[in-house]
Amino acid sequence: MNCEACHLKELEVESFEIREVLRCILHTIVFHRALGLIRPKDIDLELFDITYVQCGEIEVEKKIDDKIEQFITWIDKHPNKKSQICLSFYEVKTKQPSWFTNKIERLYWEQWFINLNVLQPTKSPTGKSQHSKLVMDPGEESEERSSRRTLLEQSLQEVLFQIIKFVNEKKDHVPPINDGVIYCPFEITFPSSSDSTFGMDMIKRMLHSGGHPSMLS
Amino acid sequence: MDFPENLPSPDIGRLEQIVSHFFPKALHIVLDSRIPSLQSRGRTRDRSSGGLNVKKSDKWFNLIMGDRPAALDKLHSWHRNILDSMIIDIILIHPTDDDDDHGNVRSAETVIERWVVQYENPLIMSPQTSDPSTRYQKVYKKAIILLRSLYAQTRLLPAYRVSRQLSSSLASSRYEMVYKVSSFSDVFSPPVTETMKEFRFSPVEVPPGRLCASVTYRSDLSDFNLGAHITLPPRIITDYVGSPATDPMRFFPSPGQSFEATSFHFQGRAGRPPLTTSSASERPHSWTSGFHRPPTPNQSFSPDFHWSRTDGGDSHHQLSPPFSPSGSPSTPRGSYSPRINVRPGTAPVTIPSSATFNRYVSSNFSEPSRNPLPPFSPKSTRRSPSSQDSLPGIALYKSSRSGESPSGLINHYPGHKLTKDSKYDSGRFSGLLSSSGSPRFGFSRSPSRLSSDLEDPDCSCPFDFDDVDESVLQYSQSLDRRKTSSSISQSLPIGRKSQDAAVGVLVQMLKTAPPLRQDSSTYMASSMSGVQREGSSVSGAESEFSMARSTSDALEELRNYKQLKDLLLSKSKSVGGATRVH
Repeated sequence: MNCEACHLKELEVESFEIREVLRCILHTIVFHRALGLIRPKDIDLELFDITYVQCGEIEVEKKIDDKIEQFITWIDKHPNKKSQICLSFYEVKTKQPSWFTNKIERLYWEQWFINLNVLQPTKSPTGKSQHSKLVMDPGEESEERSSRRTLLEQSLQEVLFQIIKFVNEKKDHVPPINDGVIYCPFEITFPSSSDSTFGMDMIKRMLHSGGHPSMLS
Repeated sequence: MDFPENLPSPDIGRLEQIVSHFFPKALHIVLDSRIPSLQSRGRTRDRSSGGLNVKKSDKWFNLIMGDRPAALDKLHSWHRNILDSMIIDIILIHPTDDDDDHGNVRSAETVIERWVVQYENPLIMSPQTSDPSTRYQKVYKKAIILLRSLYAQTRLLPAYRVSRQLSSSLASSRYEMVYKVSSFSDVFSPPVTETMKEFRFSPVEVPPGRLCASVTYRSDLSDFNLGAHITLPPRIITDYVGSPATDPMRFFPSPGQSFEATSFHFQGRAGRPPLTTSSASERPHSWTSGFHRPPTPNQSFSPDFHWSRTDGGDSHHQLSPPFSPSGSPSTPRGSYSPRINVRPGTAPVTIPSSATFNRYVSSNFSEPSRNPLPPFSPKSTRRSPSSQDSLPGIALYKSSRSGESPSGLINHYPGHKLTKDSKYDSGRFSGLLSSSGSPRFGFSRSPSRLSSDLEDPDCSCPFDFDDVDESVLQYSQSLDRRKTSSSISQSLPIGRKSQDAAVGVLVQMLKTAPPLRQDSSTYMASSMSGVQREGSSVSGAESEFSMARSTSDALEELRNYKQLKDLLLSKSKSVGGATRVH
C-alpha cells in the first residue's frame, strides 16, 4: 500500500485567520476520509464566504480543534513565517512483539501537507521617519488587508478544490472500511522548533510503523 | 460496510444496487443544496443517536441526508434504466431588462449548473483483476468517496451561495432557482459554454461499467445582479456621521444648556454673531477642569477675547466653558487643550452664580492646583514699570498656582490687608474678573505698588464714581440677573475705601500701561472714559488682542481686571451703599 502525499497550495494567513483556515482544510480532508456512517454538517466560515463540510463526529472536531490550538500556541512562540502541518492517515496494525517491544504499529497510507505562511502583524513600524506614514496607514492597511483577504479566500477555495481533486484521483490506496469505524484514524503534526527535531519525529514514526511508509505492500 | 439488509446475495446484484442507488443519492445531494423546497427534513435531528433512527435508504453510501422528499422519489421513479444519464439542470429565473407591453418585467431562465451522472457501460468488458468477493466493497468504498466529494463540491460552487441567498426571506421574488431533471439535455449554446467551467469527478469502476459524474457551472454569477436585489438584514451602524464615536472634535450642542445673553454679552470677535444661548459648546474642555463648577444654565461665558483660535469658526461661547452638563471637565479637546498649556489658567469663566461662586472660591482656596488661572508672569502683565500689584479684592480670586497658600489669600481678604499682597502675582485672577465687559482695570501691579496706591485715597483716577456707577450698574444688573450679587457681597468683604483706591489704582495702571498696539491703546483710553457698551468695546479689542500671544496675555489680564473691578463694585454695593448704585 502506498503512502500518498498531497502538498496543498501555500496560503498566506494572518494569525487570527489560522483557526478558520485550518478548520476548513482539516475537516474537508477528514470528511473525505470518514467513510463510516456519518451525518454531514455544513459549516459557514465567518471570515470568508466559504462553506465547508464536517463529518459531524464530535471526537474529530475536538481533536482537530485541540491540534489547531497547539499549533497556534506554537506559532506564537516560534514566529516563523512558513510552517507546515501534516495530516496523516494511518492504519493500526498489531504485530508480533518484536525487539522494539511495540505491538501496535501505525501504517501511514496518506499524508496531507498544509503549507501556511503566517504573516506577522504590520503594526511594528518604529522610528520617527515612519510616523507620518502611520497616519496614512490605517486606510492603506485596510485596503491592503481586504485585498489580501480576498486573495486568501480565492486561495482557500483553490485548496479545497485541490483536496477534492486529489481525493477523486487517488482512491486505491484507501484502506477498506472496517465495521464500526467511522473515520480513518489520523494524526496531525507540525514541525517543532527545528527541522532536525521534525526529522527525528519522522524517524520515530517510521520506526514505530515497522517499516518505511512508502513500502509497497 | 453498511449495506441494506435486503441486498441480494450475488455481487453483481450488489454492484447493480450500488449503481441504482447512486443516482437518487446524487440527485438528493444536488437538489438538497440548491432547491430549498426539497431540503431534507430531519437531517440534523438525532445527531447524537447516530444512525439509529436513520432509514435504510438513507444509509446508502454512509451519508445520512435526512428524509428524502417525495418529489425526489417521484423524480427518480422515471429513471428505471441505469444506463440512462441523469442530467440535473439548476436554472436561475431572473428578471431581464426588457419589459413587455404591459410594463411587466420579463423573466429569463439561465442554466447556471448542470450535473450529469451516468453509468457508462463500455462495449468491451474490462478484465477484472480484483477478487470478486471484495470487489463490491472496494467499489462501494470508492462510490462513497465519490459522493463525499460531490457533496463537498456542491458547497463550493457559486450556485450554493445563490441558493442560500434566495432561500432567505429577504430575497426578492423576482429571482428563483428551479431545477430540471432529464435524460437528455440541450447542448449549451456556444456563448454560454464560454462562461462555464467543467469539473469531472473521477469515475468509479463498477463492473461492467463505471460511474461518472461531472458538473458544468457558471463560475461568475455577478451578471445577474443578485446582490442588488437581495436586501440585507438591518444592521446597526455604530459609526454614523455625527456619532460621538467618530469625530471627537465635532461640536455637539447640548440640549440642556442655555446661556443667557446678558450685558456681558460680548459681540465676540469682529464679525462674529452675538452670543446665543442654544449653541453653547457643551463639550467639556480641558480647561474647565480647574474650576470644578457644575455646569449651570445660568452661567454666562466670559468673552475670551484673548482666546486666539486657529479655527476661527467658533464663537467664543463655544469655547467658554463649559461646564457642560456632561460635567466631564477633563475631557481633552483638540485645539483647546494646547491653549491651556499655553496659557494655563486662562479663565474661561463667567460670572458665577451664587452657589458656584462660593464653590469656586472655596475650591480655589482649598485646591489650588485645580485653578486654571493664569499665573501672570510679572513681565507679561507689566503695564507700567511699577505696576504689578494685586488688589485685595483680587487676592480672593488669585490662584495659588504660584505656590502661595490659599490661606494667605483668605487672610488677606478680610479688611484691608493690602500690604500682604506682595507675594501674590497680580496675574492670578479668577475667571470671574474676566467676565465683566469692561476692561477698565488693569490688575497687573506689583504688590508693593498696590499697597502704596491703595493707601493713597487721593490718587487721581479718572475713574470717578459716576463712571463706575454706570459700569457697575450694568454689571450689577447683570449680576442680579445671574443672582450673584448677594453671594459676591458676602464673600468679598472689601472695605469701601480700599475699593475706591483699588479702582483708582486699576484705572491708573491701565492708563499708564504702554499700548501693545496702536489700536489697543486707543481701546484702553476709550475704556477708561467709561464703558457703556462693554460688548462692543471688548469686541473691538478682542480682534486685535487675539493676534499675538503677548496681546492675548494682555487681554487676559484685562479681563481679570475687569472681573476684579466688578467684584469690587459689587462688594461695595454690599458694604456701603451710600455711594454705590445697586
